[in-house]
Amino acid sequence: MFEWLTWFTNMENTKPFALVLYFTCFVGIIAYVFIGKKRAKRFEEYKFIPFDEDS
Amino acid sequence: MKHETIETHAGILIVLTLIVISIGGLVEILPLYFIDDTVEEVKVDGIESVRPYTPLELRGRDLYQREGCYTCHSQMIRPFRDEKLRYGHYSLAAESKYDHPFQWGSKRTGPDLARVGGKYSNEWHVQHLVNPRSTVKESIMPNYGWFLENPLQFNDIADRMRALKLVGVPYSETQAEYELNIKNFGKEVANQLDITQAEANLIEQAVSKNYDGYIAEITEMDAMVAYLQVLGTMVDFKQFDDGYFATFR
Amino acid sequence: MSSISLTNSQPYNYDIIRKFTVMAIIWGVLGMTAGVYIALELTWPAFNLDIPAITFGRLRPVHTTLVIFGFGGSALFATSYYVVQRTCQVRLTSDVMANMTFWGWQIAITLAAVSYMAGFTQAREYAEMVWPIDILIAVTWVTYFILFVSTLAKRTQPHIYVANWFFVAFILATAILHIFNNMEVPISFFSLKSYSLHAGVQDAMTQWWYGHNAVGFFLTAAFLGMMYYFVPKQAGRPVYSYRLSIIHFWALVFLYMWVGAHHLHWTALPDWTSTLAATFSILLLLPSWGGMINGIMTLSGAWDKLRSDPVIRFLIVALSFYGMSTFEGPLMSLKSVNALSHYTDWTIGHVHSGALGWVAMVTFGSFYHLIPRLWETKMYSDKLIFLHFWLATVGIVLYISAMWVAGIGQGLMLRAFDEYGNLAYTFIETVEFLYHPYAVRAFGGMFFVAGIIVMAYNVFMTIRKGRIEKAALEEKLAAKLAKVQG
Repeated sequence: MFEWLTWFTNMENTKPFALVLYFTCFVGIIAYVFIGKKRAKRFEEYKFIPFDEDS
Repeated sequence: MKHETIETHAGILIVLTLIVISIGGLVEILPLYFIDDTVEEVKVDGIESVRPYTPLELRGRDLYQREGCYTCHSQMIRPFRDEKLRYGHYSLAAESKYDHPFQWGSKRTGPDLARVGGKYSNEWHVQHLVNPRSTVKESIMPNYGWFLENPLQFNDIADRMRALKLVGVPYSETQAEYELNIKNFGKEVANQLDITQAEANLIEQAVSKNYDGYIAEITEMDAMVAYLQVLGTMVDFKQFDDGYFATFR
Repeated sequence: MSSISLTNSQPYNYDIIRKFTVMAIIWGVLGMTAGVYIALELTWPAFNLDIPAITFGRLRPVHTTLVIFGFGGSALFATSYYVVQRTCQVRLTSDVMANMTFWGWQIAITLAAVSYMAGFTQAREYAEMVWPIDILIAVTWVTYFILFVSTLAKRTQPHIYVANWFFVAFILATAILHIFNNMEVPISFFSLKSYSLHAGVQDAMTQWWYGHNAVGFFLTAAFLGMMYYFVPKQAGRPVYSYRLSIIHFWALVFLYMWVGAHHLHWTALPDWTSTLAATFSILLLLPSWGGMINGIMTLSGAWDKLRSDPVIRFLIVALSFYGMSTFEGPLMSLKSVNALSHYTDWTIGHVHSGALGWVAMVTFGSFYHLIPRLWETKMYSDKLIFLHFWLATVGIVLYISAMWVAGIGQGLMLRAFDEYGNLAYTFIETVEFLYHPYAVRAFGGMFFVAGIIVMAYNVFMTIRKGRIEKAALEEKLAAKLAKVQG
């Protein structure tokens, strides 16, 4: 059942696999966060939270 | 999923954070328990070279920890030319496999001690521990005069060995465990690892070797010097081919 | 605000914050004084005085524990309780639990210090506490987690502000690290002595996974949480980029957990592990600088405040040191550099540029913002804040320059060969060489301690002033009330 895990024990498999996995993940997050004007505007609103209390 | 979902739900934030912080530790720590090459096989004629500490050495090791020696001395020689000349063969993982906890250290305010065993006489160690500046003028080590003044406390030596047995050190309590030790370490060592004989063994080693040069009493100095003298002496590197240990790295 | 807080129905629990703030300063003074003392011992061993309890080996864990957990820990409790209440706009859910965290933590720190001096230790760096103290800490920490999360859950503000993400990550990670690193077997129920569950190479890996993440989560992530609230508040401007904070938060918490093994380069730890750690250490530069840039850019457009506002100075210098030491860290994690720097004072200097430059400075800045608000008054003296700033900055610069000289110098001497291929220096010759840098280091430490003592005095006078003002105000009110009723 866990035979397939042995594929990961070979460093030559794991290195490119990890690189692709993490890099796509990283680029995905960057793209999600920084692309889109509306989303950008929405995100930047939240930075005013610490100033809400001063009312 | 929007990032806002995470920002507005504490539970999701916690679970995601937990997942993200767990990966690194799992990938780096768990395999060390399962990959066999992590700790070298060090056997000469079927007998394990690295053995657990004798009761007296074990008490010495406890004192080494009590005084915080690890804050200034490492026990880990790196594979560099200058370290080989200064301290000896680089340290093997196998050499600290019975070390609970490890004492590799992180700072050399004093020299590495991984192979200090046998380099100096017992008398030198006693003199040096009592007053380091009497043997090495420029030393900045504190004086440890109380090692010679304090009688060694060893009434709980069996408890100590039992606790270590529980975490995997092959001290023996039953006949079967004892026989297994004879097979792995030889009879002489197996006798030292016998918990039922711990106190007698400790007294015997301290009295016969008389590390502190002081006959009337077994002092902390006996244990301390016994420990220092065994450090790094278990593996006889002449018995192994050049390059054998490199296959594990 | 001030009108509400005069009555008993105070919206926020400030009492617990005041207690932790005062204790942070007290532990800071004690822990840093211990640091100076052990620095003197290394310069002039006569300072060991032949007293077991104060020899270097026993006092060094006292110094690290009081500073990291006593000073840093108490400061984090104080600021996290302040920030979570203010940004969620609710009171902490339980005063009893809050007090439990206070007493649990203070007792643990006190017992730890006393037990090290008495010779009770696990002999694993930064986790020296014996098993009963470990249990006390675990209970305290779980209480802290429950209190913090239940307060978050009750918030009136829909969003959880970024500072709180860092606090959450810090609380979670510290819990995991503490529990897994302190698995140990006591020799009996009546003995403080225990043996670590792991041995040798696995013990080393677990310990440095813990050790480096004590830096990563306790001394970095949590203090970034502090930064994300107090820098914008003190500058009067929102944080530079919220989006950058999203990226750098997830990257930081992910990457930090991988890097601990860079403390074990060239040891008996397998090469694959330390190589992996070195790779991630270099990647870690990105999120670290993301945080620094976000903090520093918050001040862009308000640079003139640097001249007039001493609090901003503390914060900006803290961020600069954060940037400096998170650059130095990846550099030192390169195997070739580490071969020289490891086991030397360069590491000690690096730790202190982070601990004094970043952790302590950002704490001082945040406290100077926080304390007047907690005691509803102004700081007793702005001049003394400036004085503290200069004492601290000069102290750090002396300290880390001395350690660079000591570390790099000793590293080079140890690997030097003469023309015949023999070692050029004996070990003790390198120790002799350390004498002057060590003296300068102790001197720099004294500057830093002088700074925090000035702060302690300033805070003491501020609290006194706050009390007097409050009493006067209450007297006035009472008089008015009597008039009306009369």
